[in-house]
Parts: sequence; C-alpha cells; structure tokens
Amino acid sequence: MTEYGSPQPPSRDLCATMLVHRQLLNESMTYRSRRAAIENRALQYERGRRASLRTEVVTLPVVVHVVYNPKTPELNIGDAQIHSQIEVLNKDFRATNSDVGNVPAVWKPLVADIKVEFQLATLDPNGEPTDGIIRVPTDQLSFSWDNGVKASATGGSDPWPSDQYLNMWVCQLGGSLLGYAQFPGGPPQTDGVVILHSAFGTTGTAAAPFDGGRTATHEIGHWLDLYHIWGDDDGACTSDDKVADTPNQADSNTGVPTFPRITCDNGPHGDMFMNYMDYTDDAAMFMFTQGQATRMNACLEGTRASLLVGQVMRMPAPAAATSPAAAVAAVPAQQQPAHNGEVERLLHDSERLTNEILTDIRSALGLVTGDTGK
Amino acid sequence: MNDAPPGVIGAWLHSFEEDTETTAVYRPRDHPFRPARRVRRGLEFRADGTYVELRPGPDDRPREMVGRWRAQPDGRIQVTFPQGHGRPYELNVLSCVDGVLTVAK
Ligand SMILES: [Zn+2]
Repeated sequence: MTEYGSPQPPSRDLCATMLVHRQLLNESMTYRSRRAAIENRALQYERGRRASLRTEVVTLPVVVHVVYNPKTPELNIGDAQIHSQIEVLNKDFRATNSDVGNVPAVWKPLVADIKVEFQLATLDPNGEPTDGIIRVPTDQLSFSWDNGVKASATGGSDPWPSDQYLNMWVCQLGGSLLGYAQFPGGPPQTDGVVILHSAFGTTGTAAAPFDGGRTATHEIGHWLDLYHIWGDDDGACTSDDKVADTPNQADSNTGVPTFPRITCDNGPHGDMFMNYMDYTDDAAMFMFTQGQATRMNACLEGTRASLLVGQVMRMPAPAAATSPAAAVAAVPAQQQPAHNGEVERLLHDSERLTNEILTDIRSALGLVTGDTGK
Repeated sequence: MNDAPPGVIGAWLHSFEEDTETTAVYRPRDHPFRPARRVRRGLEFRADGTYVELRPGPDDRPREMVGRWRAQPDGRIQVTFPQGHGRPYELNVLSCVDGVLTVAK
C-alpha cells in the first residue's frame, strides 16, 4: 500500500498509536474540564448569580511578537503600525470608537464599555524595561494555523508567560487567514492571538478592507471567551453564542450588510452584524453588547484573573514591581475566599465533568476496538 | 481510483469569489488568495484514498475532518468519514483544468 519507507512492525505501530491517543485523550480531558469550569462561571454571571466586582478600568500588558522573513522586509512592521493597533483596541474596548454612533437605535442601549485597556508591556518577564515589542527573523515564508509562529523551535517566537501578558503574534499567514485565537483554558504555551500583518493596525502594511484594526478586536474577544455571534452552527439556528442580548442569527455575515438583515426568524431587527464577533468588514463592525461584557468579565475574574493580579502588583507602588519574586509570593494573598454557592457550583461542575469524561472514555474504547458505537 | 477525474489529487481551498449560482470553485492551497474573514473551506484528495476536509472553526482557523474518498464509475466522488464523525456525501466534479477545480453546488 505505501510506496515510501520500510514497513514497521505492527505491534510498535499500535503501541505508538495508543500512546499518542492516550496523550490526546489526556489533553482533551484537561481541556474539557477547564472549559466546563469556565463555561459554568460564565453562566453564573449571565444569570446574575454572580456579578462583576470590578468598577475600575483594567489595563492588560501586551507583548507583540513581530515574526518576519528578512527577504520581505515590510513584514517587519514599524512601531507606528503597532501603536495604531493598540489605539484601536483602547477605543473598541471602551466604546469610544468613532463609529459607535452607527449602531442602530434599537441596539444603542446594549452598547458596552468593557472597561479594559491595553498597553505595550513596560517590564519583561525578568523585570527589565522593555517596549513590549519583540522582533524575530524567520526562514518561514508564511505560517499556518498550527501554532507554528508561537514557538522558536518552529521558526516563530516563544510566548512571554501568558498568565501575565497578552501575547500577540504578527506575521504572514497562509490560506488567506486574517488571524486566529485560542479560547481560555487552552495550553499556556500557545495562549494568545495571531494576526496577519496586513490586518494589523491602521497604518503601514494594513490593507483595506481589514485596515481598521478590528481583526485584533475580534480575536481578543475570543481570547476573553466570546463565541461568534451566529453560534458556529453552519447556518442552522440551533446554537447561539451563549449571550442572551445578541439575537440568534443563522450564519456569519461578510462585507458591509444593510440593516436590517433577517435570519432565524429574528425580525424585525435581524442580525447584529455590526457586532465585533460577526465576520463583516472592519468598517462595518463597531460594538460589543452588555451580555458580551458580562461574559468577558466572568473570564477576566476567573480563568484570566492572574492578569488582574499582575496589574495590582504593577500599578500602585512602583517599588513593589521591581522584584518579580515578591510579586509571585504575593499572589496567593490576592486570592478570594470561597463564595457562597461555591460548593454547589463545584458539585455541578463535577457531575458535568464526570459525564463528559465517561463519553471520552467510551469513545476511546470504541476507537481501540473498532466499534465507534454512536 | 482509475475513475478519479485527472488532476484532482491535491489540497484545494474554496475560491468563493469565483462561485456561480450552481458551481463552487476551488484552487490549490498555495494560490495567492485574497485575505478573507470567513475561513475558506478546504478539500484534500490524497493518492492513498485519504480525504481531509477543512471546515471553519470557532477560533477562526480551519478544523480538519479526516475521511476517505473514492471515485465512482460515473466520475462522482464518494466521501465517507469514520462512523459518528460526519455524514457521507458525494462530490460532483464538473471540471479540473489548469489548477481550477469546479464542483457542482
Ligand atoms: Zn472569530
């Protein structure tokens, strides 16, 4: 059957397959358990059983990894292009973007100030001063969606600790992708967002119709646990984005649609295609909703709380920030005591997890024995 | 395999800008596609009968679905997935010339 190489003993094949499979199953179960806990917390916030305690604006430290092939020097984008992206984020996540006034009247009350700002890191992981920009030459002509840009071993740039920084990689991407994200709960070594250089910022190599910096706004939405507004159900109306105040819509919208656009019996107002979590052009998306703000808060105060703790350490006393060891030692003191309902939540999580893991195990057994069951 | 339309082996991405009412157009994966926010669907026919479909994922990158493909005597391509991993379907390849794969919608 195979034309290349010498055939390997089947027993070794099977053994290797089992090892890979067990590793995947382990990763899958870890990821599932993390996602279940994150989703449960989001639900608590959505139902009002937990509320954000946060009234202040938080500032998240960002490190931008510019990974470029020296044969194409323009891929080594300039500082101005990077700063233009940070500016866009600081408007979009504060609802101070100049186009927010274009939100249809019926949805204006839903427009949310996420109270999150972004700042290029001023201290690196060792506590040394930095401008928050890393420039890494590579032999790669372009990167795929396989996380290759996130590791030096594959021609990319290793992340800074993703519990303290938002890592953004900017590079040439294949397959016409504008960018991609990783949801919270995934492996820390690949946590962050990847953006095509020509869809990054508003100047330099940024090219229409993706030169409004909105690709990063969208990807950071995922990074803060937002789903696509149409629910990723491929045109069906069966699944939504787990946010109540965004209308159920059938599929993604592209380009610059005209209001109203009706799908899924969602009239008279139709799809909220001007939401950052749809797929419209940069010029056609300009809002997050209150429900999305709640979901992002659940994430920021849950699985991504380490970024907020980091801010507490960095902000008030500059002297305290000079010693990373002191910062680390202080982290446990910042942790909240158990809330009311914590036990109930844990029980609920455990039950759901047990069921999911059982499904995984049955599926794994089915693959081994050749009986996929379902 | 002998009934496979000539030239179909390879990895293709949906060039949706070139679609018509009745046909979907695919081009080789390394074609200089225009950047697009909606993830392009992909089809890959390997010589050993492996089929890899790329479907848009929730994190803006394609998800791989691995199955099998087999050419039918009438030139259609039968696609199947391991049980429980996707419904089987048929592709009606209308033409495959000069790096342009045209499939009936
Ligand atoms: Zn997305």
